[in-house]
Amino acid sequence: MTGQDPIRIEARAEVEITADARDRLARVADLLIPAGAGLPSARAAGVHKGLLDQVARARPDLVPPLLDALAALGDAPGLALVEGLATTAPDAYAALTLVVAGGYVMSPQVTEPLRYTPNETEIVDPRDTLNAVAEGLLDQVRARGPIYRVPPDAPPGHGS
Amino acid sequence: MHAACDVLIVGAGPSGAVAAQEFARSGMRVICLEQGDWPDYSRARHGHPDYELVSRKHWAWNPNDRRGVGDYAVDDTESDISALMYNGVGGSTVLYAAQWERFQPSDFRTHTLDGVGDDWPFDYWDLEPYYEEVERQFAVSGLAGDPALPPAKAPPLPPVPLNKVGRRGAEALNRLGWHWWPGTNAIATADYGPLRACDQRAACPFGCPTGAKASVDRTHWRPLLGKGVRLVVRASVEQVLLDERGRAGGVVYADENGVRHRIEAGVVVLCANALGTPRILFNSADGSGIANSSGMVGRRLMTHPFGNAIGIFDEDLESWRGPIGQYLHSLQFYETDRSRGFVRGAKWNLIPSGAPLSMMLTTTWGDEPIWGESFTRLLRERLGRSVIWGVICEDLPDPDNRVTLNDRPDEHGIPGVSLHYRVSDNTRAMMHWHIDRVSEVLDVMGAKQKILNPIIPGIGWHLMGTAVMGRDPDSSVVAPDGQCHDVPNLYVFDSSIFPTSSGTNPVATIAANALRCARSLVARRRELEVAS
Repeated sequence: MTGQDPIRIEARAEVEITADARDRLARVADLLIPAGAGLPSARAAGVHKGLLDQVARARPDLVPPLLDALAALGDAPGLALVEGLATTAPDAYAALTLVVAGGYVMSPQVTEPLRYTPNETEIVDPRDTLNAVAEGLLDQVRARGPIYRVPPDAPPGHGS
Repeated sequence: MHAACDVLIVGAGPSGAVAAQEFARSGMRVICLEQGDWPDYSRARHGHPDYELVSRKHWAWNPNDRRGVGDYAVDDTESDISALMYNGVGGSTVLYAAQWERFQPSDFRTHTLDGVGDDWPFDYWDLEPYYEEVERQFAVSGLAGDPALPPAKAPPLPPVPLNKVGRRGAEALNRLGWHWWPGTNAIATADYGPLRACDQRAACPFGCPTGAKASVDRTHWRPLLGKGVRLVVRASVEQVLLDERGRAGGVVYADENGVRHRIEAGVVVLCANALGTPRILFNSADGSGIANSSGMVGRRLMTHPFGNAIGIFDEDLESWRGPIGQYLHSLQFYETDRSRGFVRGAKWNLIPSGAPLSMMLTTTWGDEPIWGESFTRLLRERLGRSVIWGVICEDLPDPDNRVTLNDRPDEHGIPGVSLHYRVSDNTRAMMHWHIDRVSEVLDVMGAKQKILNPIIPGIGWHLMGTAVMGRDPDSSVVAPDGQCHDVPNLYVFDSSIFPTSSGTNPVATIAANALRCARSLVARRRELEVAS
């Protein structure tokens, strides 16, 4: 923390994301998330294209520090240089990694192989736990009896 | 003096909401001033691809990160734990996990039983009928008969499902012969009043998009509007006004443009949480402070140090789904056993692990580097295949742990607060011992990997103790009914007045105690001396 005054007006993404910035982001994104484990790389998922636009709409405040990070990294950074931003420019690093990872997990190319379907909701079935109880899952807990401590001044009938 | 209302409440969180409802039912004219605004649930984006991106900003738990309407700077540079809260209608029930825990009988008698802390001026059984009443107000779901608590009436709704995660945890605890019980939560498991049945989005701490979680903006404030209650948002209270006899005459607040307004009231009730309440008391009398002849305002801050143990499994447990909330809790090792090297105890609860960024962009999922070749592997290993045991330790009061005003005012010129807080040796020993036991549970559950986080500095959800209640005006700020010893028509109903913290989630006790205090005030209102 802190001591910063609250911000009352949301930062808006008024800075254009150029084609050059998108190319740089693609290169950095593939360093951060190469393909593996049956999942695409960040570039292949499109984090520098439509996903970046979605991220910018959701979090316009991330765009300026993202561009700062890309500018600081130059044309051909290695992973070590990218990770070094965490020390030299932590706000830019946080924005860059959130844009890349946040965009990545928005892609159906990623969520489908993971069987991650948060848009499919499932209303609770109250019978689930009650059925487990009926099967005897709580029997031994009940059999062991009370485990709370009764203070000496508890009212009559409560163990005192 | 012509008061604008019979009672003026500061803060629209759970204590303010419960009190407002009780006052309104008795026919009192109520005004509540809330520094934040109504929650904007259009930003509760679960089910949309940008859910986590939006949540990390608009539903951030730390006000220093969120920096929304009503948030003021909390300087935690001198604190081991950061303070989390939501400043807005609903207070921190907007972001809480809704784990609903009655305090234990021993929590009210820590001095008598263990020689630490202070006994409360009432006991569990005095509070029991109020617990029962607020459990109906908060649509609590659970199962009667938990042997970790005295016998009580069943909550109004059946418990949340165990799902694969909860069943695996329950079976492991059974093999160890340790206590567990299906989770009690302020989460509707069927349509209930203004709430709808939970649809398991695992989004409880990020503004419930379904309207299943009992946050008091939904359960209390919406229904109260137009029933004798006026709720003013974006109203930051600067100070309580006293007359020449030392009676509270009302407050001064700043509106969203910083314009000061004076509002008069017969009774003032502070429900601004354990940081906000001392902030107002310190800043009153033009900064000289009020209600502090004991010197205890701001002292005895308790934050409930929190730890967790993450287990990663081979099987797909669909653990991005479910209520958070708790599937189950365990109080097996809650009561004191001095052979463990500490006094008092902790509660454990089992929850699903949630959405992908929460387990990839965080400091609590181990030391393994995530970027580069490991990212996709770790994402696949963790998402849906991990569970989290939470551990809440009782935090004993220490006068040196405290809240003070600082010289960094908010945008309206009202001073912010600084925390001075250190985790005690007793708490550290307690946490490490409990994390070791929870680690054993993960072994029995079959976890292939464990990540243990004893005391997470960024999580201080439960703020208590900074205007302690007691019978002795020399050592406490308020009487057992919340009435300030020094100012007879000024009350505090929030968790500031808790003498000790318990080792369980406090909202049930905040709500029950607020109801107890409000009912007492209503019964005594004819005899109260108001400002002239």
